[in-house]
Amino acid sequence: MRSDEKGMTLIVKTITRLTVGLILLYGIYIVLHGHLSPGGGFAGGVIIALSFINLMLAFGKETALKKLSEAWVSTIESFGALMFLTIALLGFTGGYFFFNFFLNKGKPFTLFSAGIIPLCNIAISLEVGAGLFAIFAVLALYNGSRKKE
Amino acid sequence: MSVYILCLVLFCVGLHCVLRKRNIIKIIIGLGIIEYAVNLFFVLTGYRAQGRAPILARDQEILNMVDPLPQALVLTSIVIGLAVTALIVAIAIRIYEKYGTFDITQIRRLRG
Repeated sequence: MRSDEKGMTLIVKTITRLTVGLILLYGIYIVLHGHLSPGGGFAGGVIIALSFINLMLAFGKETALKKLSEAWVSTIESFGALMFLTIALLGFTGGYFFFNFFLNKGKPFTLFSAGIIPLCNIAISLEVGAGLFAIFAVLALYNGSRKKE
Repeated sequence: MSVYILCLVLFCVGLHCVLRKRNIIKIIIGLGIIEYAVNLFFVLTGYRAQGRAPILARDQEILNMVDPLPQALVLTSIVIGLAVTALIVAIAIRIYEKYGTFDITQIRRLRG
């Protein structure tokens, strides 16, 4: 009963438990279809981060940070930036920066098409999602360096 | 033309909020309103009547589409606005920790 006292009321917790997975899946959908429909890496990354922020608002910061700890957030953010740089540098195998190095580009308007653009979207979504969640988590975790009496 | 004037009205609402309010949180909200007014103005400059999003779709011929350049600019602007808002909120937390208030008339330790 003591762990239930953290966060918001029972109604908010129940609705959040039902919807947070759907929000996360919708973010992943937006990322993966970024080269076909409106959206893309940034918008999808924001939606992915908002699902975790929703969890943190409803259940308190311990529950959300148990799902995705600060060390993992930092690792994912660095990995996203390095993945984007690697994709860009791999273009030098074909001649220039950001070269679309896949020889088989696939058919247009299908999921596996457009070469490196879905990979770039995934990298951007990792970076943006982890970064936005890190900003919120840092603002929530900050307790102040000096305690006032 | 009237939509541009409405953008200016929204900008002035945010400016009033920044200049007249005393609470730091309300000032941050005013800055957000100003930012969104400018973003809205940029997007509206690229709008054409009956225009569609400039994205290719299967089996569809898009005849008149809106200008994609302001939209790309505004996307960058939103990201920068997010970073600026996070920075201001962090500074506001520090001010609250140091002075124990959000009222800007009470924060006067710099006065000699």
